[in-house]
Amino acid sequence: MGYAAARGGLTAIKNAERLVRHLRDHDPSDPVGTAQVTGRLRLLVDKVMGEAGMWDPDLAARALLQAEGDHIEATHLLRAYRSTLPRVAVALPVHADDMRLLRRIVPAFREPGGPQVLGRSTDYSARMLLADAHAARDGTAPLLTSVMGKNGTTTRLTATLRRLDLLVDRRRTDDPEPVDVTSAPPRPPAPRSARLSAMARAETGSLINQWYRNILGPDGYLHEVTLGEVRHGELPVTLRHPHTGNPVTIGHYRATEVEAVEDLDGAGEDRERFDVGFGMCLGHNERKAIAMANLDIACHRDGGATTLEQSILMTTDGLDSAGFLEHLKLPHYVTFRSMIDRKFAVREARLRATGSGTQ
Amino acid sequence: MSTTLDGLVGSEQGVPFALLDEESKREIRRALLHAVAVPGHQVPFGSREMPVARGWGSGGLQVTLAIVGRDDTVKVIDQGDDEGVNAVNLRRLVVSSTGVEETSEVHEATIIQSRHRIPEDEMGENHVLVLQVPVPEPLRGVERDTRELSRMHAEADYSRMWVSLYEDIVRNGVITQSTGYPCLVNGRYVVATTPIPRWDIPRLHDASFLTLFGAGREKRVYAIPPHTTVEPLIFDDIPFEVETAEGASCRLCGSAESFLVSAPGDDDSWSCSDTAWCRRRRQK
Repeated sequence: MGYAAARGGLTAIKNAERLVRHLRDHDPSDPVGTAQVTGRLRLLVDKVMGEAGMWDPDLAARALLQAEGDHIEATHLLRAYRSTLPRVAVALPVHADDMRLLRRIVPAFREPGGPQVLGRSTDYSARMLLADAHAARDGTAPLLTSVMGKNGTTTRLTATLRRLDLLVDRRRTDDPEPVDVTSAPPRPPAPRSARLSAMARAETGSLINQWYRNILGPDGYLHEVTLGEVRHGELPVTLRHPHTGNPVTIGHYRATEVEAVEDLDGAGEDRERFDVGFGMCLGHNERKAIAMANLDIACHRDGGATTLEQSILMTTDGLDSAGFLEHLKLPHYVTFRSMIDRKFAVREARLRATGSGTQ
Repeated sequence: MSTTLDGLVGSEQGVPFALLDEESKREIRRALLHAVAVPGHQVPFGSREMPVARGWGSGGLQVTLAIVGRDDTVKVIDQGDDEGVNAVNLRRLVVSSTGVEETSEVHEATIIQSRHRIPEDEMGENHVLVLQVPVPEPLRGVERDTRELSRMHAEADYSRMWVSLYEDIVRNGVITQSTGYPCLVNGRYVVATTPIPRWDIPRLHDASFLTLFGAGREKRVYAIPPHTTVEPLIFDDIPFEVETAEGASCRLCGSAESFLVSAPGDDDSWSCSDTAWCRRRRQK
């Protein structure tokens, strides 16, 4: 079986890969371990896990190291790895109220049901570049956030609004299975679960841009919400035991959850009540969850009048957009040759039409 | 990219045959069967993330990996060239994850994965041609809303496509569509012909081989089964034009009957896009 061609292409690729490894692995500084990445670049690891749709901090750290910190590339490594794995089980649904809260703020109310807990946040820190980011380590552990939740002392703002009959009731009585966007690619019109799943896996910057171009850009299909809940905390993964049938908690992950209260002001809308958008993603990523919650309610209110849903479903995935952008680097000899052919054809047609001959 | 996978997966687990887990491959094959049963219809599938980026042949790769068996022999070309860097990369992924034979010869291959070209050599019923598709929607130039696009395909309402071709002639004197020329398959669905050149379009008509189209990023597959009509959208009084260059011939093999590429502005630089075909002519 002959593979007769000269192997120039392969040599070039292998050399490129050697250069990658050389620049990355032979730097004179100390190598970075995955524990350092998960411990010290926590938000980056969270972002990659969220966009990959896969909770595994160690693998995410390995992917980030391999990708030299390129978070899209790291996300790609995780998702491609996931493609090799069979799906062995589906976890039981979890209620967002089961979250062990690490942070919870309610911008809409000074005194919501339950505490406002700033938790870990740089929101109110002066953005001053420190000479040594670790110099402030003073040895005393900070005040740990109290563990709340599980029908405890926190009442969702939406529950309060519902009690006051200030919330449009869109709760469903049926309980449809959520769309698995990894096995059934959603196109408009799609169920809400498909939109939420797509946004949970979307590239963070892409969602932020989608939000902002609707605020200030040409689209304008949404307006600012008031945030009812911004939460970060830990949730259990619970499976039904294959033999006993009992629910078993096999692990935990962190997630960010946002409820966004919308002031309905449309002509045909309920002007006595609010509506609410929902955002949730893996890890600690508040920008993403907030953009998602606002886009969720915007999409509902849009009701298919515009192509907002198509934008959300089809243009926010980081691997799709980055991959297609970068494919422009591939050889396009054939298509370009064909384009040149048409350029000459148009010119000839014009010369023929104007009677100037073919030269 | 195999080192990438090795690094992440670890030797204790190993990579499955043809990379994807068996359930995923079965799902892709189900979509392909659907596509063959309804020629030219774009069938959605749960496109997986591959070790190559979206837009780099991830769809064609999934199709190849879903259909490849241990007895297959694969040929992979990009721009007609077995040695194009992306062809090399995709081929080594297929070969390293399956152990199947690779070849640059069409007559030895059973699966030919290609980007932008159909090989010049004759292909028969023993061949499956897998084309990598960047944009599977032929009507996107005239309509952006996916809901309307679904309706147009469902009702075979291609009037706006015809109008756009007509307007092209009125404005420019010729049809300016270069590659990926829209074709009517089996008298029913208009398809995007990847972007293969117009030169290759007649090869699809009533072909004895099966052509599978994989669009990974847009998560669609479609097919042209053997002996299916493939008609480029053209008017009765306007001939369908393939790429021509008067007097041009390959500087290596002298061919004037193959698809030639050249450096712009250099009339002496023409060479065959299909490198395996060109090499064999020179060896004769």
